[in-house]
Amino acid sequence: MTFEPIWDVIIACYLFLAGLGGGAFITSAFLRWRHPEAVNMIRIGRVIAPVTVMIGLVLLMFDATAGLQNPLRFALLLTNFGSVMTWGVVFLGAFMVVSLVAAALDLTHRRVPLPLDLAGAALGLCVAVYTGCLLGVCKTFPLWNNAMLPILFLVSAVSTGMAAVLAVAIIKHPEEFNRVGVLKKFHFCLPIIELVLVASLLFITANTASVAGWNSVMQLVAGDYVLAFWFLFVLVGLVGPTALETWLLFFSPREFEESRRAHWISFASDAGVLVGGFVLRLLVLVAALPVTMTVPWL
Amino acid sequence: MARYGMLIDTKKCIGCYACRVACQRLNDLLPDENFIRFEEREEGVYPSVAVEHVPLQCMHCEDAPCAAVCPTGAAHIGADGIVAVDQGRCIGCLYCMAACPYQVRVRNSETGAVDKCRFCVVTAHESGTQTCNCVDACLTDARIFGDLDDPGSEISRAIAETHAVPIVADLTKTKVFYVR
Repeated sequence: MTFEPIWDVIIACYLFLAGLGGGAFITSAFLRWRHPEAVNMIRIGRVIAPVTVMIGLVLLMFDATAGLQNPLRFALLLTNFGSVMTWGVVFLGAFMVVSLVAAALDLTHRRVPLPLDLAGAALGLCVAVYTGCLLGVCKTFPLWNNAMLPILFLVSAVSTGMAAVLAVAIIKHPEEFNRVGVLKKFHFCLPIIELVLVASLLFITANTASVAGWNSVMQLVAGDYVLAFWFLFVLVGLVGPTALETWLLFFSPREFEESRRAHWISFASDAGVLVGGFVLRLLVLVAALPVTMTVPWL
Repeated sequence: MARYGMLIDTKKCIGCYACRVACQRLNDLLPDENFIRFEEREEGVYPSVAVEHVPLQCMHCEDAPCAAVCPTGAAHIGADGIVAVDQGRCIGCLYCMAACPYQVRVRNSETGAVDKCRFCVVTAHESGTQTCNCVDACLTDARIFGDLDDPGSEISRAIAETHAVPIVADLTKTKVFYVR
């Protein structure tokens, strides 16, 4: 029997958007610390955060059809605190409240208290890590059942969050975009860290006790998902942005770096990071094979 | 309290699917809703080859991963150790389907809720049957249902005689045993 993935595009969108939202809020908090003068970019992050997470949650509710038909059942989500999903609901709920309040205060030009920003950043981090733990606790899938995945999802979440804020800033506030050098350098590092994490994840997964791990990895690097993996994820999502940003940040003259043309190159790099972030979630969902189907009872 | 379990003898199974049809009909399942999944495995080298039919269904694990991950408490371990899904609590998030190592849970395409082998608690409750529909329907007596805690029960004796084992060793503590 061939294995049909249990979760696919809708859940991949949700995982991506939840990570992006958490990452966007973290980006805002980071900007407040290192670039407090970039008020517009801080606001962009605070708006992106609740909007993307909310879209993700709506997708999630549509995917949970039994709950959609009986919405009151969603209240039961807080009954089993042994489940990672229940913790996710707690984190997501708290994050939504904090990020909505922060966005409302910022949009009405009132001061956002520092503790609120810190709480939002911490909750954003929890949301991003939880999306990895959600999959990680399923012992059935060697590709998920390891400690690498939550870290990978966290790095990818912060990376996509920063990319979203930077991309919007290029369109709306290019003058601020030119002045957030520290953020850009942090953002530059993340795809490189991701590359290391992905390589580690694949090496470890391919060598787990079950052949399902090997088969999952082979599906990615040389099987059904070879194009999406190498082209969309590795090239467009990681190597491409790294190459473009290396050039812009370290090798191009400053006048060019601040020109509109350079901005659009940077925009393309950020778009690549976003594509890569989504493709990563999708591939991790669909390429995972269960231990019992690839080892037909030996 | 009984601790219900099942023994499936694949040496007797002819792959006729009567168990699956009986399960679907008598439990009023949808046409696309199967609680029993058949896997086939070829053995031997030409010209002496054989096909083994392996019916798989909920193993009613004592350490059920589905119940552990279910956020709403719909998947739970009920009376007599039977793993059950409370259809009125399930939101259809499919987390249990991802957590189940045996991939034997199915989504009801009408309600969106997840369901799986119930060890026929429904029919037992309504018509007082002592055993499961699949066991009744099996033409070759490949299936035995009973109390694992009673050393004198048919299933306990059969497991001892045939050295039946879980389908995969050390994955979970299953209550369905296989003779291979």
